[in-house]
Amino acid sequence: MPTRSMFLRILWKLLGASRGRLAVALIALASGAAVCSALLNVNLDAEKKLTQEFRTFGANVVIAPPPTGGDAALADASVLDRIAALHNSRIIAATPFLYVAANSGQQPVIMAGTSFDQLAKMNSWWKVQGNWVSSGDNREQCLAGVAAARQLGLAPGSRVELRSGGHTISMTVAGIVTTGGAEDSQIFTSLDVAQGLAGLPGKLSLVQLSISGTPAEIEEVTRGLAGASPGLEVHPVRQIAAAEGSILGRISELIFWTIALILVLSMLGVLASMAALAMERSRDVGLMKALGGPVSRIMRLFLAEAGALGVLGGTIGFFAGAVLARWIGGRVFGVEVSPRLVILPVTVALTVLVALAGAFPLRLLGRVRPAEILRGE
Amino acid sequence: MASLVQVENLEKRFGEVRALDRVSFAIDAGEWIAIMGPSGSGKTSLINILGGLDQPTSGRVVVDGQDISHLSERELTRYRSEKIGFVFQQFHLVPYLTAVENVMLAQYFHSITDEKEAAEALKRVGLGGRLDHVPAQLSGGEQQRVAIARALINHPKLILADEPTGNLDEANEAVILELLRELHAAGHTILVVTHSQAIGNLADRRVELEHGRLARIHVPSVAKD
Repeated sequence: MPTRSMFLRILWKLLGASRGRLAVALIALASGAAVCSALLNVNLDAEKKLTQEFRTFGANVVIAPPPTGGDAALADASVLDRIAALHNSRIIAATPFLYVAANSGQQPVIMAGTSFDQLAKMNSWWKVQGNWVSSGDNREQCLAGVAAARQLGLAPGSRVELRSGGHTISMTVAGIVTTGGAEDSQIFTSLDVAQGLAGLPGKLSLVQLSISGTPAEIEEVTRGLAGASPGLEVHPVRQIAAAEGSILGRISELIFWTIALILVLSMLGVLASMAALAMERSRDVGLMKALGGPVSRIMRLFLAEAGALGVLGGTIGFFAGAVLARWIGGRVFGVEVSPRLVILPVTVALTVLVALAGAFPLRLLGRVRPAEILRGE
Repeated sequence: MASLVQVENLEKRFGEVRALDRVSFAIDAGEWIAIMGPSGSGKTSLINILGGLDQPTSGRVVVDGQDISHLSERELTRYRSEKIGFVFQQFHLVPYLTAVENVMLAQYFHSITDEKEAAEALKRVGLGGRLDHVPAQLSGGEQQRVAIARALINHPKLILADEPTGNLDEANEAVILELLRELHAAGHTILVVTHSQAIGNLADRRVELEHGRLARIHVPSVAKD
């Protein structure tokens, strides 16, 4: 089609005509696009990374029997098998607890039977003086909360004797844990030891779970757990879920507004460059109008020029942003950000919009009066 | 011969200034008219109105049977592309387009482009070897010849030339005048605004303006006051 090919021919010449000014506009567009692309990429990977990290900061779901008191308040340990049978990769840890009221000498103490492996996965932030218990079902070692250790005069390596009902056990303290919570007053043993001491084989007080994902994803896993735990109540720990959601939301909001600000700044850069370009082009537009060029057809040329700059700037920016995202991801979030192709059309579309908005001075050229321009003064 | 252009009681005011004051004359098809007069006499206002670049304050201008006095912006654009071929004193070529592309630009705004036809037009004005040169690579005379080829490419009814040799040396002026003579001989209607008596003498008639008024019309060997 000759007319279309002439359009492309003029467009090509336009792009080559004011290289200096267009280069400045292109740099502004590509820089803005690079930051946008980087932040969008980081946002996706950082959210994933942060939700994983949140899951090392304690449980966000608890499964427990309904609060009726007595033996009825204990769950059957088979719930752990049913949770495992769900094979849900979002369940980072499922830590059983059996709380037993015990005595050490004359001092009362809360003994928490648990799985040390699961406990470690869920609470990696706990401070440990000494060592963690060497294997998950170790019957010889225990951990003491810092307050309980102080009360009973315990230190790593010392022996502690625990008594409940008619049973007594003696264990070595592997380490002293500081959690800042109720756990500081407890002594942690393996689940078997606690069940044996209390005479409650196969019984649990509750299961704490750490589930990764957004609040909606956690809610979905929770529904699956409720189905797998008949007779038990499955409670999301609302404060934690809400706090995590709020942090993720704020990070996304921060990124959104940063992108908006960068795009506005980028647009201002393009605007300055295009204003100078419009001055240069006014004579050409006057001539085109004198030759019988309709304003819409002339403006289409200049807007296509701005659009082409946007496509080029957005594409360059996407690849530059991918490099930037890797750097930010490693430096700030400790995560390897891999660029996603889905970001490319988003970045290009945003950059084209910025370029068209920045080309506003070119649109004013439609008002040029050819008689004034061509007077030759 | 039928009148191609009729100008009746044409007035153009810029605020208090009266650039054209009740000017009336007609141009026959195939005629070469020279508009002459001192600076500020209204020559540019007249050529702008005839070319559809400006509109009169009052009066009537009919070109090829179309009254252009009250056309909308869109209609004037169409009028310029279909009926007028412009040649400017400053040549006014698009600096980043080649000679052939400058000619094709007029085709582009008129209908469809035909590179072969544009090249032929340039060959006719002696620029067959300069098709791919940009204006900066052409002399003033060559640039004006490109402008003439561009003015002719859409077969306009009326060629309007505003001081076409004003920026040229004598040698190039002679080339451009020869071209205008050839166009006239081929039957084109030409209106030239000029200060040059030599060009004025080549025209069929000289329309002289003074202070926006029609002062006199000269025809060869007959002078009408």
